[in-house]
Amino acid sequence: MPERIRHAALDKETIKQVKTEIHLIKDECKGCGYCIEYCPRNALEESDEINARGVHPPKVVDESKCINCGFCTAVCPDFAIFVVEKPNEKDEKHAKS
Amino acid sequence: MAENKESQSKQQEEPRIGVYICHCGLNIAGSLDCADVAKFAGTLPHVVLAQDNRYTCSDQGQAGIKKDIKEHKLNRVVVASCSPRLHEPTFRKACEEAGLNKYLFEMANIREHCSWVHLHDREAATEKAKDLVKMAVAKAALLQPAEEAEVPITRKALVIGGGVAGIQAALDLADTGYRVYVVEKEPSIGGMMARIDKTFPTMDCSICILAPKMSDVGHHPNIELLTNSEVTEVKGYIGNFHVKVLKKPRYVTKDCSACGECVKVCPIVAPNEFDVGLAIRHGIFTPFAQAVPSTYIVDMNLCLNKEGVIVCDKCIRACERQAIKFEMKPETEEIEVGTIIVATGADVFDPSVLPNYGYGKFPNVITSLEFERLINAGGPSGGHLIRPSDKQIPKRVAFVQCVGSRSDKAGKLYCSNVCCMNTIKDSLLIKEHWPDTEIYVFYIDIRAYGKGFEDLYKRARGEGVVFVRGLPAEIKEDKKTHNLWLIGEDTLKNEVYKIKADMAILSIGLEARKDSEMIQRMLTLSRNQDGFFLEAHPKLRPVDAATGGIFFAGCAESPKDIKDSVTQASAAAARAGILMAKGKVTVEAITPVVFPEKCKACGLCVKVCPYNAITLNKEKKRIEIIQAACGGCGTCAAECAFGALTQSHFTDDQIIGQIDAVTEHDADKKIIAFNCNWCSYAGADFAGVSRMQYPPNVRIIRTMCSGRVAPKFIERAFARGAATVLVSGCHIGDCHYINANYQTQKRVERLWKKMEQSGLNKERLQLLWCSAAEGEKFASKIREMKSTVDKVKPEEIEKAKEVFKKALEGT
Repeated sequence: MPERIRHAALDKETIKQVKTEIHLIKDECKGCGYCIEYCPRNALEESDEINARGVHPPKVVDESKCINCGFCTAVCPDFAIFVVEKPNEKDEKHAKS
Repeated sequence: MAENKESQSKQQEEPRIGVYICHCGLNIAGSLDCADVAKFAGTLPHVVLAQDNRYTCSDQGQAGIKKDIKEHKLNRVVVASCSPRLHEPTFRKACEEAGLNKYLFEMANIREHCSWVHLHDREAATEKAKDLVKMAVAKAALLQPAEEAEVPITRKALVIGGGVAGIQAALDLADTGYRVYVVEKEPSIGGMMARIDKTFPTMDCSICILAPKMSDVGHHPNIELLTNSEVTEVKGYIGNFHVKVLKKPRYVTKDCSACGECVKVCPIVAPNEFDVGLAIRHGIFTPFAQAVPSTYIVDMNLCLNKEGVIVCDKCIRACERQAIKFEMKPETEEIEVGTIIVATGADVFDPSVLPNYGYGKFPNVITSLEFERLINAGGPSGGHLIRPSDKQIPKRVAFVQCVGSRSDKAGKLYCSNVCCMNTIKDSLLIKEHWPDTEIYVFYIDIRAYGKGFEDLYKRARGEGVVFVRGLPAEIKEDKKTHNLWLIGEDTLKNEVYKIKADMAILSIGLEARKDSEMIQRMLTLSRNQDGFFLEAHPKLRPVDAATGGIFFAGCAESPKDIKDSVTQASAAAARAGILMAKGKVTVEAITPVVFPEKCKACGLCVKVCPYNAITLNKEKKRIEIIQAACGGCGTCAAECAFGALTQSHFTDDQIIGQIDAVTEHDADKKIIAFNCNWCSYAGADFAGVSRMQYPPNVRIIRTMCSGRVAPKFIERAFARGAATVLVSGCHIGDCHYINANYQTQKRVERLWKKMEQSGLNKERLQLLWCSAAEGEKFASKIREMKSTVDKVKPEEIEKAKEVFKKALEGT
């Protein structure tokens, strides 16, 4: 469809925003940077702090960017990152039904 | 074979030419003296019979020609009447019926190129007609009989575009029994009609009447539907097109049951293009509920999974049927078809280029297409017409007509054909749902021209829709409430209005698709100045392209409503069906002829051939021509410096014969014009049909392509004392023969250089790119060249004769 889009979607409030908590186990991190590189939403970057292993662990740039694809967990060689989805009201209802 | 021998014997005979001057009622006879022209024709060499008659194309006229061929043993026939683009086939057929090879017929165009453009100068028009007849007789004396090659037609069709026109054409052809490929760019067929709520004038539900047809296309055993696909290459010619189609991956296989579980888990959202962005869709989606095929599709621009790395597998896990396959790759399918139907549709005008209407800035100014999605029960608001600013139902609605149409300032000059009735329908839809809504329609003219249209217009007025003549000059917005003020002049009441509205709907026009140019190049089509594809004849071949085997349906050819699109689609299917039912077609015998003894195997012709139809055999030191691949432009013959190539029916001798005939007398007062058959000759015809008056000094020589015009023709015209020469062809990029007119440009530029170096006024040689629709451009060029003719001094003519005298040798 070639038309340019000029108006915002009328149903944009109905979009179910995934809310997540990104958990970093900083001292387990060896600073390989895979999670930063592979995050499709660019939600992570390298931090300035130095952990127990003497490397810079990642930090969260913007948690709202995360859509809980779980790829960071999959690529982390040291099991140092995982994401938990915060349940919202709609989801709970959906789960019950 | 007997016929062959007969025609060969005729070739050796002394030419016996019959000349017929047609009055065409008063179309010709009203502006020139036909009897005088006939009398003059009788004095020309080889002419054994010359007469004038009222309608040569009538059965009676044709019967006369046939009788004369037998009685007077005519072996050449010249008819001076209308354009050969109109009646050459008629007279050729008559000749054939009388046993005369059709290539022994020649036409002089004394209507479009003479009587109609010199309405008020009888004497000059008569003199010009005599010249045109003289040229035709000169060519006729040198005509050679020819046999046409027969080409088989593949009994398969390609339909480009899956809107309602493409759907109808495909179904008609498939039902006739032909195999049809439908190529659609979008994930689903349906096109514009699928997005519209109701149709006028019957107020039928658009998708309800379209969906069954879409489904038929999806299930028809004779139709192969290629969605999310694009035609990338078309090679070949009538009956034998080789087409490459790029099938972009959907990343979902046919196992998809359209359950929609994948959509629920997809974390990515974007505006749905089908709803003009008024609703959201996910990274995996189906554009609308009735989509055909119903298989979902992944938008790879949005999806997190790029370059084969599965980052997010939520949809894969949600799909019970395991139909999602990210490893799918683009594929190119090669298909062979005999006919092509172009049903690529139209774009809509983008009103954000009109700052005075505030579209894109004011939330409550929407387009008619956005309106269709809002009023549609399947649309983003569930059929409630709501203001984007506050989601309230508007109480006062204004429609603004002709947005992007009928304007020389912003938008297009033409009328978009559908907007008036669409607005009337829309206003009635609002009245149907919310009868208290006040509706204003601002218009220039209401064009309710079709069956049942006036009734609908009357009904709208009866329901209280207020029609105000005069478009608003400006729309202003109250920043707090987002209400709108429409300010303009009511030209019926002669007063200024300032009307408040909750919502304004811009009735946007239709325009040629932005990718039309690509289709045009691939299929060597022409477009008019508005960008729509040009038909072979506006009245009598309205669905045929000038290129054989290609037909138009729907808005690709011009803006039209659904009924007209469907009508045209069925017509196109019937036209394509005629070709395929016959199973073979003859191609015009205008391919090149090689004189091997003169060929130096330099390979120049190989380089200029747009069709790669000439190959150089280095071992045997000669060229070989693939007749079936040749398009018949003749640019190879113009390129050959050794006279080893010529084009059948447009031979060097014949064209030189025409030049010599026209330059015999008063050459210093004449403009010798070479016009290509497809664009500039048709453009000159168009000037005639439109009765555009221009000076009678011009004499047009028709070639198939401007690329046929060899420098020696131009040189010869100057060497024989012509005042000026015009070479005219299709616009660069629009050449009917792909790119042959690039050679025209090179050759003319070379001659300009030569003229400059020899101290000649290079203005005497002009090059004009003129499309079939640019009659006025041709006429004004002739007016301009007339002033050059008046300025050229006798000594300049003599000097040009001296410079180019070499061109007179060797013929």
